[in-house]
Amino acid sequence: MFSNFFYTCKAKGLKITLSEWLTLQEALDKGLSGSSLTQFYYLARMILVKSETDFDKFDLAFEETFKGIQSENEISKNMMKWLDKSELIDMVDEEERYRMNEQDGIQFIDKEEVEAKFKERLRDQDSEHNGGSFWIGSMGKTAFGNMGGFMGGIRVGGKTGYQSAFQVVGARKYRDFRDDRMLDNRQFQLAFRKLRQFSTRLDIPKTELDIDGTIDKTCNNGGYLQIVMDKPRKNSVKLLLLMDSGGTMIPFSSLLNELFQAVHKSNHYKDVKTYYFHNCIYSKLYKTPECENGDWIDTEWMFRNLDSDYKVIVVGDAAMAPEELYSTSGNYRGPNGGLAGWDWLQLLKRHYKKVVWLNPKMAPGHAPWREAETAIKELFPMYKLTVDGLNQAMVKLMLNK
Amino acid sequence: MSGQQFNSTQDYVASEQLMAGVNVAIALQKPLLIKGEPGTGKTMLAEAVAKSLGKKLIIWNIKSTTKAQDGLYMYDTIQRLYDGQFGEEGVDDIAHYIKLGKLGEAFDADEQVVLLIDEIDKADLEFPNDLLWELDQMEFYIHETKRTVKAKHRPIVIITSNAEKELPDAFLRRCIFHYIDFPDEALMEEIVRTHYPDVEDKLLENAMEVFYGIRALRDIRKKPSTSELIDWINALQIGGISADEIRAKLPFVGVVVKKDEDLETVRQKLD
Repeated sequence: MFSNFFYTCKAKGLKITLSEWLTLQEALDKGLSGSSLTQFYYLARMILVKSETDFDKFDLAFEETFKGIQSENEISKNMMKWLDKSELIDMVDEEERYRMNEQDGIQFIDKEEVEAKFKERLRDQDSEHNGGSFWIGSMGKTAFGNMGGFMGGIRVGGKTGYQSAFQVVGARKYRDFRDDRMLDNRQFQLAFRKLRQFSTRLDIPKTELDIDGTIDKTCNNGGYLQIVMDKPRKNSVKLLLLMDSGGTMIPFSSLLNELFQAVHKSNHYKDVKTYYFHNCIYSKLYKTPECENGDWIDTEWMFRNLDSDYKVIVVGDAAMAPEELYSTSGNYRGPNGGLAGWDWLQLLKRHYKKVVWLNPKMAPGHAPWREAETAIKELFPMYKLTVDGLNQAMVKLMLNK
Repeated sequence: MSGQQFNSTQDYVASEQLMAGVNVAIALQKPLLIKGEPGTGKTMLAEAVAKSLGKKLIIWNIKSTTKAQDGLYMYDTIQRLYDGQFGEEGVDDIAHYIKLGKLGEAFDADEQVVLLIDEIDKADLEFPNDLLWELDQMEFYIHETKRTVKAKHRPIVIITSNAEKELPDAFLRRCIFHYIDFPDEALMEEIVRTHYPDVEDKLLENAMEVFYGIRALRDIRKKPSTSELIDWINALQIGGISADEIRAKLPFVGVVVKKDEDLETVRQKLD
């Protein structure tokens, strides 16, 4: 029964075994699906799929096998075509969009209202709109459409500009859980678990039986048992996280937020320190992602107080103008401290034994047109901020050479 | 479906999918694996199931040092060794020093019980694999006393995971899986009302608005969970806060937001 479905699932990359398939048959025999398609969907999902990261693949397979399932807000093909303007994305200045929102001062809007209006527009709209403030279109500032500046609305197709839309109509609900699409917190945490270096020289209670010590003491004690306890081995890795909080990083803020949370949830480190910078590292490092002048520490203080054993992870897109990197007055937001950004990066490299750079939008292969990125790649091993890249970076941090 | 059915209880609101998940797991006699954000009521589910079916609940809390063997039985060798040196009574009887673990207790019970294996991902990576046989066959063998402990009634097994570690495939194959989505506002309202049926409408509405507002802030480090909202509403009620003050003054917001950095963010952004 439904063996077609089994193979479709397999084709979509779900690892389903025969025993799970037989379990589903058993469940159907027992009448657990109650002859309803919806119940069958949940029944099959709970038996066949064992991770929320695979829900999306399952949805695709299910839809392909049992066509005719549609959600309420159907987006017409025409409208999707009007909105598919990915070539325009480079024309939109991210900071500009951000400002557009701040001017309006709207942070929270009522979800239901947006939805009701959306349905209304959906019914009435009959042409393409870009850059306006009423119809569904791209680059505008209504709550609907894509590539716009509005911070909380309904995104219709296209690429996400800001990642705060209430819902993505026309996309699948669990798509963001897919592990090949986006990093989630769990995978970050798993990767961070690779950073382990055990040491027993820490100040913790003795809770483990020291077998050799016990035998020695017992023999010395004339055969009467004397038990010796020892400290368990603990992770001694210290981590220093430096995050770019510049304007070009705004689209990646939720990704960075996840990364940040993952580091802080992995509480097995001896110490974790986080500082922020704007585009490049200069004489000051900010304590908060807002990068407000005054709320900072001296980069040299960091060198003095956080010793060279700290493993350093720099997260940034390395997108700087050449003068931001090479000029001694290249820092347009704060003090340069007499050195160019490049020199500060050199100091960082000299001080710490292990530094890696994670870049959320690294160019694949050799990209000479990204001057700053290419230069920094020479200085630090750079990895793309994906599951794979992060894993490689962690291995690099742990290697001795 | 025959036999007993799990339903939402007075204190616990389950989505329909979750109820179906529990009932399928019972019907197929397979462990139910529950994942979801912290604070979405994974652990409470087992309590609710036990209560709804009128069965005893046995909880096995997993820690990073827990081994599979701990759940089956423990042979207290050190106690026996010490006792042996001083010729205490009963030293020759090994059974005297065998103590059943939580899994053993569940198997050995005279009636069907609900067994909660809480936060299985906290343990070592190999931990779930070490339990495959025991969970499949519902029996284990005590070498020291040559006794087989076999479940008289297959316990209903509920396993929770915070997804800190990936669980082995062989283990996952044997489970029924359910992912608890974060409750939407309608379900959340129902959940709060089961805890505090008399909560004032306006208070609940304003508190939920602030709560979802905080969750939507992008730079928040620890998102508040259902259980924190419930605690907050309790605090607001006890403190006699009027509904209009919630948004403006954020009273007791420390109940919802636990980190200093987050508190600052919330105060800045929501003002």
